[in-house]
Amino acid sequence: MQQQTKPNTPANLETRFRALADQWRRETGMLSSVSQMAAHPAYQEIIGMGTAAIPLLLRELQERGGQWYMALYALSGENPVPPQYAGRIPKMSEYWLEWGRQQGYLS
Amino acid sequence: MPLEYYKELLLPNLERDEYRVTSPESDRYNCIAWAAGDDTDWWWPSPQHYWPEGVSIEETIASFQAMFEQLGYQECATDELETGFEKVAIFAKDDLPTHAARQLPNGNWTSKLGVWQDIEHQSLNALAGNASIYGEVALILRRSRTDNPD
Repeated sequence: MQQQTKPNTPANLETRFRALADQWRRETGMLSSVSQMAAHPAYQEIIGMGTAAIPLLLRELQERGGQWYMALYALSGENPVPPQYAGRIPKMSEYWLEWGRQQGYLS
Repeated sequence: MPLEYYKELLLPNLERDEYRVTSPESDRYNCIAWAAGDDTDWWWPSPQHYWPEGVSIEETIASFQAMFEQLGYQECATDELETGFEKVAIFAKDDLPTHAARQLPNGNWTSKLGVWQDIEHQSLNALAGNASIYGEVALILRRSRTDNPD
């Protein structure tokens, strides 16, 4: 029997995003390497969702934190974090969330 | 206090080692920062993360070695406790750095496990080996404790 694919509605996208984000957290929590984290298949699938994933990533960052900066950079081509705050996680999140508000991705 | 069971399953050598959890979880710093004595930044050779100025932003053992050399460490032969010296161990898998641990004055090691907790473990083998996500110990470095007030 042929498998039916779900239509790519925002609700389906969000459900898939949540499942991938949870999987990524479970399976990469012990890692320090941000390149290993970003290479994880769930992370790559999120990047593969394209710019539609940006608001979901920003909300995830806001609510649960996490190393979503590489995905945000890959999808937006921007890095709003000043160099002096590279690696300072609370500041990195703060600058990305402010960027998201300015871009209209977050209210 | 041990790690949660699902974490032990992902680090299978840990159960054969004496270890204890020494901090709550934190996503603010990682093992490299912790080995370098910092609990405020995520250290990694990446344009978006902290990496000391003057050290090449390359994901190589040589770059990690240069970073620790900048902090006063020099390569050494053994992970044995040596009076007057503080040691760090760099782990790698497929030649890519994955983890670092720092030796404590009692000879045990302290490791921050990604965004999980810090642990104190008796041996480096607790986190190394074929089945370990961190791979094997690739390099041991040491510096004089007298050069480092903390």
